Amino acid sequence: MKTEDAIDLYENAPCGYLTMQSDGNIIKINSTLLNWLNFERSEIVNKKAFRDFLSMGDKIYLETHFMSLLQMQGDVTEISLELIGKGTIRIPTLINAKQIQQDFNKQPVYLISVLGITHRKMYEEELLIAQKKAEETTHRLKEMNKVLERFAYTASHDLQAPLNAISGMVHILEKKNVIQAGSEEELIFSKIASNAELMKMMIRDLLEYSKIDEKSSGFEAVSLNEACNLALEILDGEVQKNEAIINIPDLPEVMGVKIQFVRLFQNLFSNAIKYRSEKNPVITLSWEKKDDFHTIYVQDNGMGFEQVDESKIFGFMERLHSHDSIAGTGIGLSACKRIVEKHGGRIGVKSNPNKGSTFYFTISVIDESKHH
Amino acid sequence: MEKDIISRNYINRLGNGNEPMMFSHGYGCDQNMWRFITPAFEKDYDIILFDHVGSGNSDEQAYNVEKYNDLNGYADDIIEICEVLKLEKVTYVGHSVSSIIGILAAAKRPELFKKLILIGPSPCYINNDEYYGGFSKMDIDELIETLESNYLGWSSSITPVIAGTPGKPEFSEELHNSFCRMNPKIAKHFARVTFLGDNREDLSKVTVPALIIQSHPDIIAPVEVGKFVYKEMPKSSYTQLESPGHCPHLTEPEQTIRAMKSYLKKLKI
Repeated sequence: MKTEDAIDLYENAPCGYLTMQSDGNIIKINSTLLNWLNFERSEIVNKKAFRDFLSMGDKIYLETHFMSLLQMQGDVTEISLELIGKGTIRIPTLINAKQIQQDFNKQPVYLISVLGITHRKMYEEELLIAQKKAEETTHRLKEMNKVLERFAYTASHDLQAPLNAISGMVHILEKKNVIQAGSEEELIFSKIASNAELMKMMIRDLLEYSKIDEKSSGFEAVSLNEACNLALEILDGEVQKNEAIINIPDLPEVMGVKIQFVRLFQNLFSNAIKYRSEKNPVITLSWEKKDDFHTIYVQDNGMGFEQVDESKIFGFMERLHSHDSIAGTGIGLSACKRIVEKHGGRIGVKSNPNKGSTFYFTISVIDESKHH
Repeated sequence: MEKDIISRNYINRLGNGNEPMMFSHGYGCDQNMWRFITPAFEKDYDIILFDHVGSGNSDEQAYNVEKYNDLNGYADDIIEICEVLKLEKVTYVGHSVSSIIGILAAAKRPELFKKLILIGPSPCYINNDEYYGGFSKMDIDELIETLESNYLGWSSSITPVIAGTPGKPEFSEELHNSFCRMNPKIAKHFARVTFLGDNREDLSKVTVPALIIQSHPDIIAPVEVGKFVYKEMPKSSYTQLESPGHCPHLTEPEQTIRAMKSYLKKLKI
């Protein structure tokens, strides 16, 4: 390349160039950058330092970070600084810099290339604002969730006391024989008693539900067989009463919160017994492994339901039956859904009226490379 | 305990001497910034290098916003390092904000220190009535903005390096500005703590002899500020270097070493 061409390329390159000494004094600057800043060469060369074109904040960054990096590693890339030109000129830029040791005994000089990024900077600012907003929203949501959880817990907890008082009082009245058998009062009192029972059940389930989100001690290896057995211990009375048979094969170990798996099986088993058919309940578990997931099946020979109602039965406080026909709150299966989803799996059901239902849920296989 | 502190502050020890010399880096950097200075002291000293919690390769998990809400949190770390490594009569070399951290540590536990070498100290960066610190509160807000725009790509592109993938060439590009890296949230908080603090009243509490190395011109810690520190500290000496910028140990390492050595020799006699 001819010298004139080289000079032309330096002076009129589509980016700014300057050369400074270690004290920041500018010894060379190209025409492009001079035009951007609206300065004459004679006003800058040997008269101004690089930092003179920076705001105070950028100056601090330059002295505490940029220069140290440049001197330690010999170059520095993609530093975002805003250059201040004559008057109101402000140019957002990206700076790359390189240290050049011209002569062994001499102080090094620094070559700086300057890329104007006015438009990109606007996007960046928008991004920053959006990011801040998202962070704030996340923070607020977390706080709100905490408040809600606390509210759900205390509300359901505190509701228990007056309710116990009501059913206690009804019980006393019954004992005192003030209610005549077959009278209208007896009907009213029995309604009070059964509604109080329903409400107790709802509160108990709500409490359980609100506990799913509680800070648990974290995930551990859980034997699903152990979880099943614990659930069956809790349900022992119902199992006996209904002469239910439960077939459980060897199930895998998974990562999760043990007590939540116990709740999951407890709800699934008690549903299978509660929504039984005329035959004695038979519950059969099975499982398969596909890719990174185990699928666990819980099959019953109960009354079943129309497949179209699948989404409804997992809804919070939604039920297919009235409380009078089969007692329930509509919380159990939505709690199951939440537990499974908290463990990264999903839950579903295949059902036919009068032929029984098969509930299934997925849970990821333990990653052996992470857990020994 | 010892292991915890060593990894928390990424402590490195070198040198063949017995006398401990601790190097404490300034804001925006890490222990790498001492690379031109330490070779001159390796023969005679037991050199202790470390990163402040939140800087360099320190354990980011140990960054506790409350603890590090003023410089005393960092001073307590210095004392802890001395205790865990069983150091006494330490020659403490601090740059910039670490000068003040050293002053706080020496005021609390003078017996741990033999002398302090303070490069570019400033007890207060903000102008305050008669006092000239060089900056206004607004300047520091501007700095926070600069930090924000320079850490824009942090989360996506720099994280693999933080996670540690040694020997993988595809990350060499990101490794480029790998010295002095800092989590943006910590960088902003540390900036506020560093530049908005006022430790002028702590200067007179130090009984350990100290050398102030002042570079000229230095816009971060101007000559006026260095002289103020010299005036306020009872047993202090003052050396001004003809070295521009805030990091004479990088810009003019020979001059800096000479100033340190002549002070250390003078004090021995």
